[in-house]
Amino acid sequence: MSELSNNYFVSVAEIAAKLDQATRIAQQLSLTASNARAVALRAGERAAGFRPLTDFIDRLAEITIKSSRKINKLAANLSQTSADKVRADSAIAHFKVVFVKAKDSEFISSLDEVHQRSLTRQAKLDFSYRRQIDRLSDELEMLSSELRNAVILATLSRVEASQAGTQYQDALINVADNVEGAASKIKEHIHYSQQMVSTLEEY
Amino acid sequence: MKTHKLFENNSHTWLMFGRDDEKPEQIIDTNQYIVISNKNALLMDPGGIELFSAMLSAVIKQLPADKITHLFASHQDPDIISSLGLWDQALPSATLHSPWIWESFIKHFGMNNISYSAIPDEGSSLKIDQVTLDFIPAHYLHSSGNFNVYDKEAKILMSGDIGAALETVDAPLFVEDFDEHIDKMKMFHQRWMPSNEAKNDWVKRVRKLDIEMMCPQHGRIFKGDNVKRFLDWFEALEVGLIAKAKAQE
Ligand SMILES: [Fe+2]
Ligand SMILES: [Fe+2]
Repeated sequence: MSELSNNYFVSVAEIAAKLDQATRIAQQLSLTASNARAVALRAGERAAGFRPLTDFIDRLAEITIKSSRKINKLAANLSQTSADKVRADSAIAHFKVVFVKAKDSEFISSLDEVHQRSLTRQAKLDFSYRRQIDRLSDELEMLSSELRNAVILATLSRVEASQAGTQYQDALINVADNVEGAASKIKEHIHYSQQMVSTLEEY
Repeated sequence: MKTHKLFENNSHTWLMFGRDDEKPEQIIDTNQYIVISNKNALLMDPGGIELFSAMLSAVIKQLPADKITHLFASHQDPDIISSLGLWDQALPSATLHSPWIWESFIKHFGMNNISYSAIPDEGSSLKIDQVTLDFIPAHYLHSSGNFNVYDKEAKILMSGDIGAALETVDAPLFVEDFDEHIDKMKMFHQRWMPSNEAKNDWVKRVRKLDIEMMCPQHGRIFKGDNVKRFLDWFEALEVGLIAKAKAQE
């Protein structure tokens, strides 16, 4: 039992760590957005089409950061629930041993109430554990689909960059590359977390 | 886990649990004690998490679980109280009496139901039914916040780690030949106890108590004259020095 519990503790912690990395990348993305805005401003009329794109980059960064925070909180709750669950599971396992070892004791029934209470608690914790995993899973899915927009955004950025003139073209293409790179890294972390979540669902 | 009756009168009984031959190896053997009065009971130094089911099984053979209304932890060590998270599920309405300095530490073992009654540095008393039990300061012996339990009616001092000996699980319950026993206690007291001053102060106070049995958390119980022998020996022993403990081995 303890090996299994160790596994889900570790999984929850790994999810939290991955999302922490995702948050940091998203923060860089938001920096990219302000750089892009500055370049677009200097490029003037020729980069007019680029300006609204910087707002989209900003929004994407913001959504990622917000969602990562939320997921981190969910992961922390999940970790607390798993700790409580391990305790409840362990108490029940110990009670079971006592029911065997002291089965002939005239006082053995004095444990019935606390045993029942632990079983109820275990059931409750099981339920909230599953619910928290579902929410975590939904949130990851949401963020993942949000990130699909990044690819479109990068493509549009490249198109706009090519019209900004040679002086600014490289800088703006660089912005597009950054957006795409950041999004794919975040996606990787999310994908990894989703796999972790699916192993949690098995318990 | 064996159960041994140490004292019994109209108002209460003292039991000792220990010599657990099923305990995993490499875990120090511990003695647990319980005072059972008419309607309540105090379980002292209930032990490590590894021992919990053996302990609860032994206890449930003697009394109903919900009669244990009080727990006592002399200090914060894992062999004393790491089972708390499980007792917390088994005895949700019990009160744990323990040194105030360890409250926020001991709670790391898991305490959601049991309530914590912090014993002040100068000690306090607990009355269960007709029985009064005194929490006697024994700080720095070895833990910096540490108490013994004294029952003047039964003349029993539960001395925690003081008087502890490192022995096998088949060791007798009582010290027979004191001089022979010294070897099993000496290193423990020299290495684990940090302060001669605290030790001598404790000896001075405990000498004034009427003690028939001194019951440590590890090893054997001191009875009758062996209590005085222990106090004399302990007073003369120099503690708190690794080098000395090694040199005298
Ligand atoms: Fe200790
Ligand atoms: Fe100990």
